[in-house]
Amino acid sequence: MHTNGNPIVRIQNLHKWFGLLHVLRGISLEVYPQEVVVIIGRSGSGKSTFLRCLNLLEEPTSGRIEIDGIAVEAADGELLPESRALVRDLRLKTGMVFQDFNVFPHKTALENIIEAPVIVKGVPKEQAVEKARELLRKVGLLDKQDVHPIRLSGGQKQRIAIARALAMEPKVMLFDEPTSALDPELIGEVLAVMKDLAMEGTTMIIVTHEMGFAHEVADRVIFMEAGMLVEEGPPDQIFTCPQDSRTRQFLARIIESGRLV
Amino acid sequence: MEISRIPPESDPDLAVGLALVRKARRIRLIETAKVGVIWLVLLALLTAGLLQLRFEPQYVFRHANFVLQGVGTTIGVSVVSILIASVLALLGALGRLSKNPIAQGISSFYISVIRGTPLLIQVYFIYLGLPQIGQQFRELGYPQLANIFTLSEIQAGILALSLNYGAYMTEIFRAGLQAVGHGQYEAAAALGMTRWQMLRRIILPQAIRIIIPDVGNQFIAMQKDSALVSLMGVWEITFRANRLARKDAKFIEMLLVAATLYWILTVVSSWLQSRLEKRMAHAYER
Repeated sequence: MHTNGNPIVRIQNLHKWFGLLHVLRGISLEVYPQEVVVIIGRSGSGKSTFLRCLNLLEEPTSGRIEIDGIAVEAADGELLPESRALVRDLRLKTGMVFQDFNVFPHKTALENIIEAPVIVKGVPKEQAVEKARELLRKVGLLDKQDVHPIRLSGGQKQRIAIARALAMEPKVMLFDEPTSALDPELIGEVLAVMKDLAMEGTTMIIVTHEMGFAHEVADRVIFMEAGMLVEEGPPDQIFTCPQDSRTRQFLARIIESGRLV
Repeated sequence: MEISRIPPESDPDLAVGLALVRKARRIRLIETAKVGVIWLVLLALLTAGLLQLRFEPQYVFRHANFVLQGVGTTIGVSVVSILIASVLALLGALGRLSKNPIAQGISSFYISVIRGTPLLIQVYFIYLGLPQIGQQFRELGYPQLANIFTLSEIQAGILALSLNYGAYMTEIFRAGLQAVGHGQYEAAAALGMTRWQMLRRIILPQAIRIIIPDVGNQFIAMQKDSALVSLMGVWEITFRANRLARKDAKFIEMLLVAATLYWILTVVSSWLQSRLEKRMAHAYER
């Protein structure tokens, strides 16, 4: 799938410091349209921070991020002044799904989904509702449209959160450990929705510990360690014959714990 | 309520459950009744004690109406003041949480000055000090500016209460804004919302639900602090009671009337507050 023309995401030499902690150590990555990239690695390796830098929820200390023609640059711990004005434009290119769902508790499922299109993009309400119902059908929750999140299960909340992000028609979907907060029996329904999106050709960057899912859905798997991209390749290669000793060690530990299907 | 609609004979387990629920409800009712009885006893004791004092109950009945007419003013001053104070508190909280040094400076200075001085001094300053400033402007030849500083009694009272409560309530609003999970800010930001959209559509509606009980408490406290504006000659409960008390030397009588009215106001406000809280909890009920 690397043949889809020019990369839609281009990251150059990204660094992030948290105080004295050097969390991202010069990451460069290109993602192509319709590509599904899965990032794996142990906790604290910087996967989530990296993902959160892409829509500037975390401001990089230095480096350059370009998504679909919107480019921002940081140097010496600050965004350049002309980049600061582009923060919202960049965010509109991405949709993010969080580990803790972060659905809006004071709004019904439908209201969660139409909120940003109506408020941010100025889409007429009827049109937004129509689109939202279509998305609810897609994630299998049309019957829950008038329900507040408190009456939904974790898996249902996460599916609403996915629909909410999709409603903004982003160019790239970012998934930050979308199933880590779910009870085991609810993980499948969320992964199924994500699989559908991948089949439809949605460009996705996914941080996850679900190795079976990564193996099945990813076009490219990246192993991250200590703030660096250590190894990348097609899932078959990464999961069956990893080249780097750190990747091998990580996967061995996961097989031990019985999580690699 | 729903429980009674289910026929108990359909399931023997359900009958056991229903009996337990009914029993629990009965026990709770008895507990409440006991508390009520204690209240009545205490009220009776208080009344009996007061009747030992030499005072004229008839005087109370004859003149209660005069004090009663101040209830509207007390409520009016309190409601307007709590609304203005809430706006000040929201601005103050946003200032405290802002990264902008000007906003931060203004809001922390405001809070420090107001919390560092007695309400009584603030009341005097606004009622007696401001007209003095106005006078100086008049002498300097700025009559328009002078008029701004010349407030009616009610305006001065509202200003004093609003400024004072606004400062204290800033901390309540700040805590409320911070109590809305960080994830909510991030989700709104990730969707491309501006700070203002985020605040208005996502954060404030959730924060207000958290804040309501505390603002209610402040409102209840303010109803009683509003007695201080009687010093400015606002014809509210305390002013009216005091006026008669001084004229006829019936202090116990009139102060009792005033105290009872404040008490009733508080009880009613508490009840309204709990109803409002229940209504706002709707989206959060399973």
